[in-house]
Amino acid sequence: MYGWTGNILRVNLTNKTFKKESFGEEFAHKWVGGRGFAVKILYDEVKPGTDPLGPDNKFIAALGPIAGIPAPNTGKCVVAAKSPLTGFYGDGNLGTRVSEHLRKAGYDALIVEGKADRPTMLYIQDDKVEFLPADEVWGQGTYATNDWIYGKYGVGVGVLNIGQGGENMNRYAVVRSLEGRAGGRPGMGAVMGSKLLKAIVVKGTHPIPQADPKAMKALGTGDLKKVHEIDLETGWSKQSTTGVLSFCNEVAGLPVRNFRKTQHPESWKIDGERLNEARVATYGCPNCTMRCGITIHDREGRESELDYENIGLLGANLEIFDLAQVGCLNYLCDEYGLDTMSTGCVLSFYADAIDHGATSGDFRFGDAERAKHLIRMAAHREGKVGNLLADGSLRMARAFGHSSEAYAMQVKGLEVAAYNCKFIPGQALAFGVAPIGAHHREAWIITYEIKHTTRESYGPEKAAKVIELQRIRGGMFEFLVACRFPWIELGWGLDNYPKYFNTVTSLNWTLDDMWNTADRIYSMIKLNYLREYPNTTRNADYPPAVWFDPSNADKEGPIAGKVLEVDKYDSLLQHYYDLRGYDNRGIPTKATLKQLGLDQEAAQAERFATLT
Amino acid sequence: MKIKVKLIGPLIYEAGFSEKDIEVPAGTTADALLDLIAIPKQRPKIMTRNGKAVAPQELLQDGDKISVSPIYSGG
Repeated sequence: MYGWTGNILRVNLTNKTFKKESFGEEFAHKWVGGRGFAVKILYDEVKPGTDPLGPDNKFIAALGPIAGIPAPNTGKCVVAAKSPLTGFYGDGNLGTRVSEHLRKAGYDALIVEGKADRPTMLYIQDDKVEFLPADEVWGQGTYATNDWIYGKYGVGVGVLNIGQGGENMNRYAVVRSLEGRAGGRPGMGAVMGSKLLKAIVVKGTHPIPQADPKAMKALGTGDLKKVHEIDLETGWSKQSTTGVLSFCNEVAGLPVRNFRKTQHPESWKIDGERLNEARVATYGCPNCTMRCGITIHDREGRESELDYENIGLLGANLEIFDLAQVGCLNYLCDEYGLDTMSTGCVLSFYADAIDHGATSGDFRFGDAERAKHLIRMAAHREGKVGNLLADGSLRMARAFGHSSEAYAMQVKGLEVAAYNCKFIPGQALAFGVAPIGAHHREAWIITYEIKHTTRESYGPEKAAKVIELQRIRGGMFEFLVACRFPWIELGWGLDNYPKYFNTVTSLNWTLDDMWNTADRIYSMIKLNYLREYPNTTRNADYPPAVWFDPSNADKEGPIAGKVLEVDKYDSLLQHYYDLRGYDNRGIPTKATLKQLGLDQEAAQAERFATLT
Repeated sequence: MKIKVKLIGPLIYEAGFSEKDIEVPAGTTADALLDLIAIPKQRPKIMTRNGKAVAPQELLQDGDKISVSPIYSGG
């Protein structure tokens, strides 16, 4: 078997034991890697009802056949666990040298189970695993922890670590790596923290098994150069993702004031042009030439790495139009290891709830100083407010009452990314049916909706487009494990990816094989969800109610007077279910599961819930 | 007639400005505007007029705000 190491490393923190477990071709071909491995392992090994922050939850780091191979842009790793934020399968990806080192150490995935008896750092070098004390950095942020690790092992090792947010089990704490990378929005950092696992360090010294390493090297390095040339030609990296802010503002899709408004006259103060002018350095992931991380000096003089989601949700959405202050909020999230998107939505919801009398407090939109204080409180679970904020917007809304859940900007518990879908029906659907909650990774169809359809349409073409993109973005890139940016931002051909896959594995897969695998993995996430929420209804696939509220319509601008319509959204949702082969709760039917080779998993699900 | 043009992302550096008012003759189409601001027509892009998509052959009107953006894909 080429392309896979064929091994998974299982580490038990309670017993301080580890073992190398092998898998065969059947498992490899069915689940491929990354998200596929993670969802299957968690489905088989973490029982429904398990406390996500208890020792029986498992933390997974998983790679795919092209991860760590020199090719565009393969320096990514999937991190996954049962989510403490959403209560079912959660995951994310981040740029890290773990992608290369774990594979070179001889593993395609790492499973961490149990709970350590003291703050611990795992050090993995090939067949050796050490359980080292991390008391020295427990209580410290991700930058200091990263430096401490580099001081011990050098800068070339693979690192996954957490900050105070993860230690204190903030439910949207992320895993961090390198200087600015973060992943695992639905609380993967909190799961590490619950296990007293401060960091994972990996060093591998063997070659990654490939069918034709010479051919892959020539193909991959050549293509890295080509991607770089396209980037230079188009100028994408001048602003990287941050150019999206101006676009969203133009088309009334920007989150402003907890998504109540869609545009703001001061948004230019934090846009991509200003960011590029303020740039002090640029960072990227391993095996990447696009380098999308733009750093600026924040108000305190620290380097803060920003992308669109950061300026959208910590800036516009909080009505903070001072780039250096937005930089501070972003720096604090990175230092504490909190998801910047959820943090932005949690703070905006808190300000909105105070505005609407659902709770009392002294936080107002635009107050950057108070926002800094609240981020610290949320990361450390300081006091009643800190604890409340650390639990995420859905739990906050349930604590506040007063119908505030309507404007808690989340789906299935995961906060919405920085796109205001008050009147963007297809993207609202993309958030609604994103399998782990409102993540923008799965599908993003705003330019398609505006350029190629009418914005008013709720037709099946939008549901079909969401599925097409889910298969690519949430599917193929997450199980091969590579960054989607060369394709989405520079138009790098999708057909390159089966080429890379086939070169390392000696298989002969087509894109259709990729889509079939993607559908299998999506169905597995849905089964995972169903087991935890057996009484689920299609309402779980609805975006926040405020987007349907006519009193929340813009008073002026391109979508004045318009909001989403419930009946039409429901018919769009039905188009999605029909095309997917899901029932009217949004769960794959038995026939769909059978077609995807999931009979055994379906039978297991039926012990907890009904399938149709 | 006067048109306000807003460029987004890398187009700013290509055309040398981010936002300005320009005088165009009556009968100018969205597509023809691109020649006036030195944006190659073949470049993948999305154009909006007052926040709504505009087709290449549509006639511009006095006071329109036209934005020209690369095809972003949402990160």
